Amino acid sequence: MGVPEPVLAGLHIAALPLLASDISVGEHPQANWFGLTVDVDTVWATIIAGLVVVVLGLILRAKTTSGVPGKFQLVWEMGVGAVQKQVDESIGPRGAKVVPLALTLFVFIFTCNLFEVLGIGSRFEFLPAPTSDINLPLAMALYVFILVEVAAVKNRGGIGYLRHFVNQPFSLWLWPFNLFMNLVDEIIKPITLTLRLFGNLLAGGLMLSLLAALVIWKIGPVPLGGLLTVPLTLIWKLFDMAIGAIQAFIFALLTILYFDTAMAQEH
Amino acid sequence: MADASMADAVRIAGAMVGGGLALGGGAVGAAIGDGLAGSQTIAGVARQPEAQGRLTTIMFLTVGLCEAAYFINLAFTALFIFSLYKK
Repeated sequence: MGVPEPVLAGLHIAALPLLASDISVGEHPQANWFGLTVDVDTVWATIIAGLVVVVLGLILRAKTTSGVPGKFQLVWEMGVGAVQKQVDESIGPRGAKVVPLALTLFVFIFTCNLFEVLGIGSRFEFLPAPTSDINLPLAMALYVFILVEVAAVKNRGGIGYLRHFVNQPFSLWLWPFNLFMNLVDEIIKPITLTLRLFGNLLAGGLMLSLLAALVIWKIGPVPLGGLLTVPLTLIWKLFDMAIGAIQAFIFALLTILYFDTAMAQEH
Repeated sequence: MADASMADAVRIAGAMVGGGLALGGGAVGAAIGDGLAGSQTIAGVARQPEAQGRLTTIMFLTVGLCEAAYFINLAFTALFIFSLYKK
């Protein structure tokens, strides 16, 4: 081998492809339950997140007083109050059924997103965030979509619902164009709900894996990558928690807004 | 990767370049969107300092929606690069 090995600041360039192929994206331990393939770690993480939310609710119910509220009750009251105010402003009093759905989505998604900060890198991950598997955001988005369409049908009646696909936003003569635009409008809702939440969480987990792979970088005897990994991972995990909260809030808010457009009284 | 055939090399190169383009375009869009949201928030708070709480909430909402486009691009880039690499 007369060709010198390519080295850039102590990192062998030829080692770079190894890093990319070591990081597995979208691979979960799978099992066969009742003939269906399931991602086992996502299911367990979802169950744990669900139990956490249920236990928080039960603790709230046990501790609720009509006297001076404690801190725990205050936090819940702030959350419920914010969701109720949002629903009142957009849908009005008919939307009382949307409040529990939106609140549950927010708390559950936020809890799921917090799983991201557990674990170190990609090898010592106890449980990945269940929302970083596309199945969970897809399931939630489809559930919300079906509920929104059912609410729209109940609000407008079956014929009115079908008619609204063809007679807006342009006149009835342009009905193919109307149909196309309205169909895209409806289909985009679950797709973007899913991909937004999934993409954010996938990016968070991927960044953590990449930061952990930084450990391989050594300049001479100094483990520069190892020293850099710790503060960078810390900063990224803090940022990721904020992103998890924002995305949970956006999912809940968009749910409320979709119900608003479905239940709107136009005539 | 001296043993990869030409077709493999072209596919992997295409995946990398496509992923890079997706990330680049997404980053530009997300940054411009966030900047616009932030600038309007600053203008609104400058006019009416007591509205800072409400405006900040709406700003974070808009930032989340803008960044969503970028993260969707990132998810597709990860799909291109990591699933095509494995082949």
